[in-house]
Amino acid sequence: MTHRSPLVTLIGLVAAFAIMFGVNLASSAPRDSYAGGASPSAAASAPPVASVEPTPTAAATTTAATPTPTARATASQNESDFPNKIVYAGYADDDSTAIAVAILGTRAAAYLCDGSNVEAWLRGTVDGDEITLTGKRGARLEAELDDDTLEGTIEVNDEKLDFAIREAKSPAGLYRAKGSKTTIGWIVLPNGTQVGIQTTGEESSPAPELDPANPEVTVDGEQLAGEAVSGDQDV
Amino acid sequence: MSTVPAAAPAPETASTRIGPVLIAFVIGSAVAVGLGAYGKVHDPTGQAINIAGFSSGLAAKAALSTVAMVLAVVQVITAMGLFGRIPLSGNWVGPVHRWSGRIAVAVTVPVAVHCLYALGFQTFDARVVSHSIAGCFFYGAFVCKMLILTRDDSPKWALPLLGGLVLSGLTALWMTAGLWYYLNS
Repeated sequence: MTHRSPLVTLIGLVAAFAIMFGVNLASSAPRDSYAGGASPSAAASAPPVASVEPTPTAAATTTAATPTPTARATASQNESDFPNKIVYAGYADDDSTAIAVAILGTRAAAYLCDGSNVEAWLRGTVDGDEITLTGKRGARLEAELDDDTLEGTIEVNDEKLDFAIREAKSPAGLYRAKGSKTTIGWIVLPNGTQVGIQTTGEESSPAPELDPANPEVTVDGEQLAGEAVSGDQDV
Repeated sequence: MSTVPAAAPAPETASTRIGPVLIAFVIGSAVAVGLGAYGKVHDPTGQAINIAGFSSGLAAKAALSTVAMVLAVVQVITAMGLFGRIPLSGNWVGPVHRWSGRIAVAVTVPVAVHCLYALGFQTFDARVVSHSIAGCFFYGAFVCKMLILTRDDSPKWALPLLGGLVLSGLTALWMTAGLWYYLNS
């Protein structure tokens, strides 16, 4: 003997998922704004496969990350006090280690680099005006947005560094290139200086110069493409 | 329509079949893996529909998932009644069990959609990995439980096991997100 109602429940569940996904797909098209309580006018119950809408990922290398008022105005939730998409870069208080933080929505990616052999990639989230990121080997970054300066500390290799960095507009910012064996990170500062490290396996060395307008470098015969890092990237 | 195998004879394999249970497990696993794969592959947008009326998306999700947890407790209690573990009986126990379950799952949908759509399958610390895995697991277990419920010839242990797994999944989800939110804000 079979019972149908559990199947009805299941179908109802799948339908509910499809509807909510469709609503999100339909109203997340205008990026950089929160669709607060938007009416689900789109009846599309599109299956959540291979999202088609233009998500602001690393492809947009030259998009100026200027915080527009609309990006924050409709944020009736205080998930993030930051502009939706922004990159901060600068030197830590020791004047030799560069730090860059890329934010996208409520996610953040960061990179610390001294240009010779100390580097760390970190990932984390935004909560209001604070960000918390963690990386391998206990790397940890905590910072707070103070006006338009990102102030905080980063702990790497048991050393703590203080920093206060400001927005870095394109072409300055944080870049990364990943090849089959080599990963390169670059921090390009607003004044044009670059700090970068290339790492192959366990060995690190200063990175080759990056031209943000033409971000391809060749390492050991392999061509790598540098891309602007976005806050939600898996670094 | 009953959700409990009526006074079954001694649990010999002759009167129960394991095949459909295994198929249900396979389908449930496929659902779990599919959700995880989607969460990993889809580019999280960092934002999704704000559920009007709450101070923030996170607060809304925490509240909804807490409602689901409360209903899950109702489910456990009624389940114990249905299986004779506690002296709770009456014609209403079954329907309350089923409906508290349906509403609980329905309430998790906006939360899960937001999680999957805006945040994706995250791995940067233990809490988010556990939450991501628990999310996939919970829905897979729920699908499995529903499939098993369509038949009367499942082994006696199947339903209580699946019920327990669904509850565990939801509890893990709630503790790694809802409870975490309340403790940290």
